[in-house]
Amino acid sequence: MKLIRSDIYENLKMALATLRANKLRSFLTVFGVMIGVITVMLISSIISGVDTAVKKELESYGTNSIFISKYNPGIHIGRLSREERMRKDLTYDDAVALTQLPAVELSVPFLDIGNNFFGQKILVSSPGKTSAAVALQGTLPDFERAGTQIVKEGRFFTQYENDNNEEVAVVGSSVGQDFFPYGSPVGQEMGIGGRQFRVVGVLEKREQFLLGGGDDDQNNIIYVPFNVARKLKPGSNDVYVQAVARKGMMDEALDQITDLLRVRRQVPFGKPDNFGLQTAELFLSNFRSILSGVAIAMVVISSVGLMVGGIGVMNIMLVSVTERTREIGVRKAIGARRSDIMWQFLIEAATLTGFGGLVGLSIGWLLTFLLRLLLPSYVPLWAPIGGFVASVGIGLIFGLWPAWKAARLDPIESLRYE
Amino acid sequence: MSDVTLAAPPTPSALPEQPVSAHDANSLISMRDIWKTYEMGSEQVHALHGVSFDIPKGEYIAIIGPSGSGKSTLMNLIGCLDTPSKGEYWLNAKNVSLMDDDELARIRNQEVGFVFQTFNLLARATALHNVELPLIYGGIGSSQRHEMAKEALRAVDLSDRITHRPNELSGGQRQRVAIARALVNHPSILLADEPTGALDTHTSMEIMDLFERLHGEGNTIIVVTHEHDIAERAHRVISIRDGLIEKDEKIR
Repeated sequence: MKLIRSDIYENLKMALATLRANKLRSFLTVFGVMIGVITVMLISSIISGVDTAVKKELESYGTNSIFISKYNPGIHIGRLSREERMRKDLTYDDAVALTQLPAVELSVPFLDIGNNFFGQKILVSSPGKTSAAVALQGTLPDFERAGTQIVKEGRFFTQYENDNNEEVAVVGSSVGQDFFPYGSPVGQEMGIGGRQFRVVGVLEKREQFLLGGGDDDQNNIIYVPFNVARKLKPGSNDVYVQAVARKGMMDEALDQITDLLRVRRQVPFGKPDNFGLQTAELFLSNFRSILSGVAIAMVVISSVGLMVGGIGVMNIMLVSVTERTREIGVRKAIGARRSDIMWQFLIEAATLTGFGGLVGLSIGWLLTFLLRLLLPSYVPLWAPIGGFVASVGIGLIFGLWPAWKAARLDPIESLRYE
Repeated sequence: MSDVTLAAPPTPSALPEQPVSAHDANSLISMRDIWKTYEMGSEQVHALHGVSFDIPKGEYIAIIGPSGSGKSTLMNLIGCLDTPSKGEYWLNAKNVSLMDDDELARIRNQEVGFVFQTFNLLARATALHNVELPLIYGGIGSSQRHEMAKEALRAVDLSDRITHRPNELSGGQRQRVAIARALVNHPSILLADEPTGALDTHTSMEIMDLFERLHGEGNTIIVVTHEHDIAERAHRVISIRDGLIEKDEKIR
């Protein structure tokens, strides 16, 4: 059956003429569709932007790195469980033991000494400034070999300095700027917890999007030798460990670390681990599952916009059918079949919403440019295609009933309609 | 209808009528005992009470009658906008009375050219596009369509107005565009419903002259009117009253 006999092109031309003849009405009608499409564009671009940024940031921690702590990985909501709080510490010796594993390239412990033994913040000072709001961590010089933090100026501290309890520090870029705004921090003295430290290196600025920012600035950090850190916070044993797998041996490393830690921490057979391993990849997949939840919620919201737009289109098409009853009668008299009339109005509705979709795409596209000033975002190809298809589809679906009404009109009565 | 010769309709009027027989294969239009009944609530209203006539090809015929006579109903049936409740209508050797909606649409497209009292042109379309419209529904390609439409406009002397829209044309010009639209598909019949009802006397005469010319060129023309001076331009007049043929006479 030649369903689209009076070809789509002719209908499209007629539809565009109708659209031009009713500019304001058409615009108001497709406003909802426009908003829906703009939302789709913006959301997709925000999500893609966040995804890229987070991926890049996580990769800066090393794709071969495994972060180990006594707590479970992931994002915690509320208090830790009692079991988790009662876990025994992950120790320096654990970190050292991991270096013996065949799939592990290196393993570095970190001791967080932000608070001292009494739970007070350790004060950090330079000749011009004193602050308690700096992260302090003790670690080993192997950290530099992990490649996740690059020394921009000066050097990292050495194993010799660690072994001899020398009071030297490597500072993050923010610390460098805050405490030594005029000139290089390297070679300068800093007070940490009442002791005098010599700054030997400054780290490259770490780009951050998801992790940190504000008080949680990843560049607002000072690394000191592990042994010295222990002296600043006596009795503190709980470390977290960054292990780096040998090239291409990520899975083996994860298995070996898990096995070894289960033995060292005496986890009975069949019981769950009492420690947590985190990798950039794992973190990313966790993050993405959250992100896709957000994306689904947003799609639902924007489809509500599209639905509202669709109702508007249905309304205006019903009006249009009534207004043009006589025209429909004439068309039928000169040989239009029901299907011809049906297609005419369906295509008109789809043109209307498709046009709204295109306007929405253009506005959305401009807005994503503005967004790019805040976030390194891009618009994934599916967003404009999906947005356009959805808007045309809305026209077809919501135009169905008005078109059917038009197609069913009786030619004789329509010709008599005033 | 077992015995067609006995199945003659009641003929209260004095017209010496032909007996109802199988359709005349030589006629363009052959109406046999056509009834049209409408349901008005519980009541049945008969708009046509068994009408029969034949129209040969190339005739110029007027159907006249006061309002409420069944004249419009008859016109709708001839124009294939409606089907009879009873009886047979043969148009160009096709039994229209049994057709469904789509087949009727096709017949209207190919066999009937409508001319309306109020022209009924698409306001936003040019004269050319208005004339092309039946061809679009006839599935004719755009270049051929253009040629045919231009030719039809030439036939009504509007070659210089093809890009004008209806509101840029006079009443007589609009009606001529409508006539071009009716003729463009070379239909079997040109069916005009009060074609001069919205025109002044002078323009009316112009349009009637045009009909006469088109008739001279071999077109079959049926004009439905209640004006006697318009009807008198035709060669045969069928008068309808109360759903029956009152008079059917050759006047020329």
